[in-house]
Amino acid sequence: MRARAVWGSALAAFGVLAVGWGLGTAGSPGLTPSIPGTSGVSGTGTGGSAGSGAGSGTGGSAGAGSTAGSPAQPADGDYTGDAESTPFGMVQVSVTIQGGRLSDVTAMHLTDRGGQSVRISNRAAPILRQEVLAAQSAHVSMVGGATYTSEGYLASVQSALDQAGWH
Amino acid sequence: MTTMTQPVSAPNAARPGNGIAQARLARLRRRRWIADLLVMLLWASGAAAASLYLASGGLATWTSPGGVITGLGILAGLVGSDFVLVMLVLAARIPALDAVIGHDRALGVHRRLGKPALYLLLAHGVLLVIGYALTARVDVVAQVVQLWQLPDMPLAFLAIGLFLAVVVTSLVLVRRRMPYEFWYGVHLLSYAAVLSALPHQLSVGGLLAEGTGQRGYWIALYVLAIGGILVFRVARPMLQSLRHALRVERIEWIAPDVASIYLRGRDLARLGARGGQYFFWRFWSGGTWWHAHPVSLSAAPDERRLRITVRVLGEGTRRLARVPVGTRVSFSGPFGLFTDAARTSPRLAIVAAGVGVTPVRALLEGGDIAPGEATVLLRASTEDALFLADELQTLADERGARLYSSVGPRARHGGWLAESDRRRGVGLRTVFPQLDESDLYICGPAAWAEAVVADARAEGLAEHRIHMERFDW
Repeated sequence: MRARAVWGSALAAFGVLAVGWGLGTAGSPGLTPSIPGTSGVSGTGTGGSAGSGAGSGTGGSAGAGSTAGSPAQPADGDYTGDAESTPFGMVQVSVTIQGGRLSDVTAMHLTDRGGQSVRISNRAAPILRQEVLAAQSAHVSMVGGATYTSEGYLASVQSALDQAGWH
Repeated sequence: MTTMTQPVSAPNAARPGNGIAQARLARLRRRRWIADLLVMLLWASGAAAASLYLASGGLATWTSPGGVITGLGILAGLVGSDFVLVMLVLAARIPALDAVIGHDRALGVHRRLGKPALYLLLAHGVLLVIGYALTARVDVVAQVVQLWQLPDMPLAFLAIGLFLAVVVTSLVLVRRRMPYEFWYGVHLLSYAAVLSALPHQLSVGGLLAEGTGQRGYWIALYVLAIGGILVFRVARPMLQSLRHALRVERIEWIAPDVASIYLRGRDLARLGARGGQYFFWRFWSGGTWWHAHPVSLSAAPDERRLRITVRVLGEGTRRLARVPVGTRVSFSGPFGLFTDAARTSPRLAIVAAGVGVTPVRALLEGGDIAPGEATVLLRASTEDALFLADELQTLADERGARLYSSVGPRARHGGWLAESDRRRGVGLRTVFPQLDESDLYICGPAAWAEAVVADARAEGLAEHRIHMERFDW
């Protein structure tokens, strides 16, 4: 009976883990509702964002052609980043570029699932904005206790900068 | 060793019909299957907790040291919490669980899970602090301060402290040094720990955010575990106690430190209690109401009366044996597999020491035992400690059982018999010549019972033929 219990347990455990792993690596599209009008507010004609990019990470936008014309200087204007999905909800920002500088980051949508996550994101967003503006880059440290918000926020910033041809 | 009575029929007369033997084996197989399934369920539930994380794509964040450490911390928290919930289910005294593995074995698993669960929860806290600190590039202290300021997190810190206290007071070494009451009081805090750990999982833990399937599964687990406690440790005993309205009818001292308590109630056959089972009893008198005692029936139950026999071992049992006649008694039970239902073999070999004789007496009286099937060995250090010996002798005569006793100081070198018997070469095989076709039932103090079990294993008795129940939790 021991052997049966051991093998059965091993099998059951691995089976369950495999299912979880499969669901996770399928890109969790179920958790990523797409926001209508994501391509929205771009000031210049550099092409819309690549839609509601599913994966987190750097989520490079496919709107490439923009960099071909003016490789050195990104054009002034507003660029909308990808909508990044987190377990707490969507995060999406737009960046403003003026005179070759990253002059503002506007949160269009922040994590809002559950009352706590609203509080968390309200705390984290201003800090992230300041860090991004100071560093002129999305490569800044995350805010402790707001990992998901930070990841989503910075990834969205990065995708907006990519669109602008920011290097 | 003394023979107290002779069998009324030759031992070989006991041959159960093929049908009975087959039915016993079928029951055993079924119990084992369910027990194995339960083990599988335990591990699958742990894996499912980890899967919640995997399914949310958590591995995608394992791109930096901070991310990996944070991920491990989340996994540890999930699996640790799952173990804690399994522990609640195991301690809930669910009758179906008791019927399969016995409440004492369920508690054995509960006890074994305690430390792993605590380690996982501690690792959860430590890893997350380190992981977050690495990611946010701040030092650990600053990170702890930051976490503390998050909603629900102070409660979570409190929970980990409570878990720590509960497990530490349950360590054998620590527990031996303090009164039962203290351990019990601290153990009650585990409910507070479970409940105060919950809010931060649902709010700060992004994994279980609203609208996710993970959240639904997690809440269902909590409902199951806490519901099990409420139903089987609170509601059911309360309703049963009300329905059967037990009261103390009289108390009879059968030795200077041993008393039989007669309880009277109504409709007791509906309890379905078998000889050899025990209940948790709560006597509603001044000094006794706050603490339930596990005590075996010492007589087969009938429609209107139950009897238990307690030995005064400490303050609690002393008060118990002195409650006024008419005291209300609430209870939960019956529990235990120390019954004829657990038999797997044609014969019964029964060994009891001291007050451990009480379930044996009830088993012999109420059990489905044919003449010549059972042999009973009583162990005591003095003649006076052979409690209920007269009653047992009468029963043995009636049921055609052999009754032996081994009286005197215990053998010095790891023996469980009297020194004098040991020297004469008495052992399991001489007392029970047909040991290989017997179920061995053992009841007595833990250390003594372990010695008997070790002896039986050394004699090659199969594990499923050894029936021992622990009462010293």
